[in-house]
Amino acid sequence: MSSKRFIISAAVFVGIAVGAWVLARSSELDKAPALSLLFGAALGVALECGRFCFFCIFRESIEERKTRALLSIITALAVGAIGYSIVFGLYLPSPSGEGLPPLAHISPVSIPLIVGAVAFGLGMVLSGACISGHLYRLGEGWLRSVPALIGSLIGFGLGFITWNSLYLGMISESPVWWLPRSLGYGGSLAVTLVVLGALAWVILKMDRYGPEHREPARSVVDAVFGRRWTWLASGSVVGAIGVLAYLRVSPLGVTSQLSTVSRTFLDGQGLLPEVMHGIDVMKGCIGTVSSAITNNGWLVIGLVAASFASATAGGRFKVVVPSVRGSATGLAGGVLLGWGAMTSLGCTVGVLLSGTQSFALSGVVFGAVVYATVVGGVKLGLHRGE
Amino acid sequence: MTTSTKNRVVRSVAAAIVGLTGFVVAGPASASTATTPNIVETSWLESNLNNPKVRVIEVSTDPGVYEKGHIPGAVNFRWHTDFVDAVNRDIVQRKRFQDLVQAAGISTDSTVVLYGDKNNWFAAWGVWIFKTYGAKDVRILNGGRDKWVKEGRALTPAVPAVAKGNFTATTADRKLRAFLPDVVRIGRKIDRKTKLVDIRSADEFSGKIFAPAGFQELAIRAGHIPTAKNVPWSTAVNSDGSFKSPAELKKIYADAGITGKEPVIVYCRIGERAAHTWFVLSQILGYEVRLYDGSWTEYGNSVGVPIANPAGTVWGRG
Repeated sequence: MSSKRFIISAAVFVGIAVGAWVLARSSELDKAPALSLLFGAALGVALECGRFCFFCIFRESIEERKTRALLSIITALAVGAIGYSIVFGLYLPSPSGEGLPPLAHISPVSIPLIVGAVAFGLGMVLSGACISGHLYRLGEGWLRSVPALIGSLIGFGLGFITWNSLYLGMISESPVWWLPRSLGYGGSLAVTLVVLGALAWVILKMDRYGPEHREPARSVVDAVFGRRWTWLASGSVVGAIGVLAYLRVSPLGVTSQLSTVSRTFLDGQGLLPEVMHGIDVMKGCIGTVSSAITNNGWLVIGLVAASFASATAGGRFKVVVPSVRGSATGLAGGVLLGWGAMTSLGCTVGVLLSGTQSFALSGVVFGAVVYATVVGGVKLGLHRGE
Repeated sequence: MTTSTKNRVVRSVAAAIVGLTGFVVAGPASASTATTPNIVETSWLESNLNNPKVRVIEVSTDPGVYEKGHIPGAVNFRWHTDFVDAVNRDIVQRKRFQDLVQAAGISTDSTVVLYGDKNNWFAAWGVWIFKTYGAKDVRILNGGRDKWVKEGRALTPAVPAVAKGNFTATTADRKLRAFLPDVVRIGRKIDRKTKLVDIRSADEFSGKIFAPAGFQELAIRAGHIPTAKNVPWSTAVNSDGSFKSPAELKKIYADAGITGKEPVIVYCRIGERAAHTWFVLSQILGYEVRLYDGSWTEYGNSVGVPIANPAGTVWGRG
């Protein structure tokens, strides 16, 4: 690694550490902002070094039958489910009653969840990534993420505007399906692991490529930043970060700060209904009206900064300016991503990962619909708008 | 080992010894060092955590606060579900409360210590409910959860496994609770003896605002019940969230004409912050106090009852 790259990368990591220290010092009681920044940084490294881009992984599995990277998502779900079942045992020792574990992303399984997932999947195909993908790829210098993220802010705003009618019409009466209520934690974990195991078997059966040939690492820095992490490493780390984030702050998600920015802006313009019905009782990535940086905002800052630092360390940082067409499809896809994430109360991280790890059917349904939509979108060639 | 860690270890060992000795020598829960019997200090609680007669309950407002870490051995009570009967807008029913309290390992001879976030608002509400149902020894942790944490004392996410207690709830004590007719008699100046204390902010009291920032407007009129005195709840606490001394508290309320010679009723917006002042006046100063839990959301919306609205914002007058 050139010394210039090393210095830039090290400076960013030190900056993140100093930022976390300052945040931790700013309140004797509330350590969540500092922890969020660090969890975000860890996530940024894991996503970047693992190329944990949901759309890229989905697309390769569809177009090339290069399916092994899907195992990183399966691993993240499995590791997360194990960790969540341990944390749930602390937070809600008896799951059979009416209560749900605090803060966990367990939401109603409704028509809007499905429609939101379709929109989100199309948004991924059109813009080339999901929201977490755009965030970490922004750190790699991929500037198509900029119109996509701007589009997502517009989409979140549209999501708030359509929320009341969707909530009153459908979401409020939809059931919340949470597996531990009927199977307990042990049973839910067993079922989840068996299903994930079966999926892993199918994934390996479908794979046309086999394991990648890997040169031995030349140094520790090379081992961490120089080469793509294996599916086992990236999935395990992403799963573990999810569990730790839930233990100390809240379930992992990457959209609530974006959603907060949109909601605060629209609220300031008087464009939102005075009351957002039922939104306070929903569990997921939901923006509030706040001009301060939320915990999720610190997480996103940590994610993008650490992704930049690890891409720089690995020599992958490269500014890629999108074409006009790429910017337009990025923006349009972003709007769909934002609307879908608002309506489904989260994205591939907040609902697919954190929801499924929580044994919520909403997470499974969202994930399945997003994947099916991406299959359709890729088959139709909608992703070729770059 | 750093000095602060060393101090913490020394303090923990000392606390354990004091606790053990206190329990063996003086018997359960008699070693309170607090100036007022219904308040315990953090140091006392830390040294009594292994005292089987002391049961600790956390009542916090935000979801996940208890779960992520609480005082070792503390049981979680949720204000929204465990202390109220939401369907009837009432306090929790006797049988349900007894079941919850027994499940928390509380017996008739237990010393119950409540604490929570937000300056013990909901812990104070909890004390009011416990007293209403006849609990004899119920106390508040001075300074609540925040003071405990700031002092570097331990938290744990582990939920305690407790054996069922034998607490028996009495029928609800009506002497601790006021209802709409009671306060209407004061508002109409039929009852000129009972003093009313409105513990909301000055702007809510005057009617300048209908609800505190960030809260939904729940009453169609703004202002207060005629004759009420405005003493915001926060005037009773120090900057670390602990209660001011009895002498200071006595003066604060005496300055507002509340001396304890006449019976008192306290109220706020939905009844929860007023529980804090109920605790101060009744449990620290020993005054005769009732909590009007219907509070402004009931009174301010009621038909045919007078209000005072010095800010001139009352509905219909713009």
